[in-house]
Amino acid sequence: METTDTTDTDGESLRRVEIDRSVKGPVLFLFANSAMWLLASTVMGLFASVKLFAPNFLDYDCLWFLNYARLQPAHMNALIYGWAMQVGLGVAIWLLARRSGRPLSSGAGMMVTAGVFWNIGVTLGIIGIFGGGSTSLQWLEFPAFVWPVLVMAFLIIAIRMVQHYMSSSASNGFTLTSHYVLAALFCFPWIYITVNLLLNHYALQAPLGAFGAGINAWYVNTLILLFFAPLGLGACYYFIPKITGQPVYSYQLAQLGFWCLIGLAGWTGMQKYMGGPLPAWMPAIGGMVSLLLLVPAGVVALNHHLTTYGKHALIESSPTLRFVFVGSFSFLVMSALGALLGTFWTGASMQFTYAEYGFHLIAIYGFFSMTMFGAVYYIVPRLAGCEWLSARLIRNHFWFSVYGIAALVVCMVIGGMAQGQSVNNPENWNQSMVGSVKNASGYLIGRALAWAFILFSNFWFFIHLVFMVLGLGRRSVSPTLLHHAHADHHAPSSTATV
Amino acid sequence: MTSSKKFIYGLGICFGLPWLIMIIIPALKAQKLMPLPYDKDRDGVEGIYPGAGIYRQGQLVYAREGCSQCHTQMIRPSFAGMMDATKKGWSSDQSEIPSEPARSSNMRDYLGEPIAFLGVQRTGPDLANAGYRLKDKAAMHVHLYAPRAVSEWSIMPGFRHLYVTQVIQGNGSPDALDLPKEYAPKKGFEIVPSLEANELVNYISSLKKDAPLPGQVVAEAKK
Repeated sequence: METTDTTDTDGESLRRVEIDRSVKGPVLFLFANSAMWLLASTVMGLFASVKLFAPNFLDYDCLWFLNYARLQPAHMNALIYGWAMQVGLGVAIWLLARRSGRPLSSGAGMMVTAGVFWNIGVTLGIIGIFGGGSTSLQWLEFPAFVWPVLVMAFLIIAIRMVQHYMSSSASNGFTLTSHYVLAALFCFPWIYITVNLLLNHYALQAPLGAFGAGINAWYVNTLILLFFAPLGLGACYYFIPKITGQPVYSYQLAQLGFWCLIGLAGWTGMQKYMGGPLPAWMPAIGGMVSLLLLVPAGVVALNHHLTTYGKHALIESSPTLRFVFVGSFSFLVMSALGALLGTFWTGASMQFTYAEYGFHLIAIYGFFSMTMFGAVYYIVPRLAGCEWLSARLIRNHFWFSVYGIAALVVCMVIGGMAQGQSVNNPENWNQSMVGSVKNASGYLIGRALAWAFILFSNFWFFIHLVFMVLGLGRRSVSPTLLHHAHADHHAPSSTATV
Repeated sequence: MTSSKKFIYGLGICFGLPWLIMIIIPALKAQKLMPLPYDKDRDGVEGIYPGAGIYRQGQLVYAREGCSQCHTQMIRPSFAGMMDATKKGWSSDQSEIPSEPARSSNMRDYLGEPIAFLGVQRTGPDLANAGYRLKDKAAMHVHLYAPRAVSEWSIMPGFRHLYVTQVIQGNGSPDALDLPKEYAPKKGFEIVPSLEANELVNYISSLKKDAPLPGQVVAEAKK
């Protein structure tokens, strides 16, 4: 059996068990809650999608709060803050603890408490949106009192983990995973505090006008590129070498990709309002940089491809590698889509259409969530002390998620183009929207079906995860692999190194 | 310097630079933007541009209800195949065939708004100049209450929760909605807009972002 580390002794695996045990509480707490929010968000996404082609669906007087204009932001916010950020925090805790090479001495309880407050914050925010407290700022719709709760909870977890990581001796030198994770933990509070102070407080005293919308667009893109992207790529750089048993193909290339991403990402975002009232240089820079971001995306994809090269059979058997592989591929698709949206050449007919929703979903679900699913499938058995119950459930989760998100993104991008073509068609000068509504409606049915697929897959993921968190998994020494014919070829859990 | 310190400084500079240049400095400079006066001799009109501000109370309802999920408030210029400016009814000229295309939006059009709701998507029509287009407030109330009573293909949600159903007293309320049969309330009842609905409609009618620019559009139109 292959191992990544030939000096893997009993002492080291004992130390790993100790590390895992020291972060078990917060990580499993965050995972279980995030899976619940994912389910909630998926249900809301399904309802919102159905309402776009059948507006009378659930249109009862007693359900007045479930109209599309509240359902859609609630769905996106639950997906981002409830699911993606929360599961990302859990994975970040575990990755930093493993990379530090030391068990966490204290602070696990504090992190669980912070996690509780994070969930209280998200719950209040979602109730706030439904109840009429929405700020109508994209991805910042939570009422203004929620953001300090989220920031505090985030900082408690992030500071504790960064402190722990920095104080350990193993942290010297350029270690890809930890630098990606540290960058994400470092950038999110900076971005989030800036935009909330500016938009929710400063703007009321000193009106920002159209520039406020620009800041909002900047937030959406930097959240994707400076929180979700580094965290997701950090996980990719951890799990791909670990499971294939091969070192990252090129560290120089990886380092280049990292600094390209961090250096470029802050300039993007304003291209959402290209042709709009913002000074023209802002969308121009955003559009240009979204093209340049193809460089780090290509670098990462090349590096992951060369690392996995010759080991593609493992994608068949290892659930983690399978999810991470799709996630890492989606990063390339996401960057390509971002570049298409950023220039006038293609963006003129995709601006303000469903294509932007497609871009957000490939980023948050296709790339980030798929990577996180991979991480969850790897981490949970080590923390819960039992193995996943059923390979079939994992396979179902994988295929329904992949088909769901692929159908969703394809429908939204093509539907968005159809919508934009109709709005921009000179022949439609005297009938403003009917063509665009009718052109897109077929694709919206596709979108609803895709959410139904994803809902099915995530329902089973949630049930499966709850069993694991409760310690009701399979008692076995061999991990749950997807194809037992390959089980002798490789067993991920036995190759684990710190 | 240890490598972790170098790393933190690197991060700070890499992200701090765009943060400062794209966000902080423009946010401070946005405060310096002032209205421009019209010149009577040159422009033929008096006053300042932009003239009236927006109706903030109604904008709060607009935000709360999430209208910007589907409605933009910005007119794009006519190039790269973008046709906003020549859409019927999207400019100040509401005639059947407008003689001038709508002016593309600029920063000053949103002066005084804490945050302009430029919009997330354009599923419905642009509202930058909705004030010129939607003059009949009673019709706008019917549209908000039952969108499909106005256009059967519309996918806009109805905002019935902003309206009150009440017993008709005397001659009935002058504000009662004139609804088509399938949306009308039971006999003896009428539907009147709540305070919020009125504020929202006032806000939408105040959206007029096609005012002539001092020294530019008016002078050109005179030629």
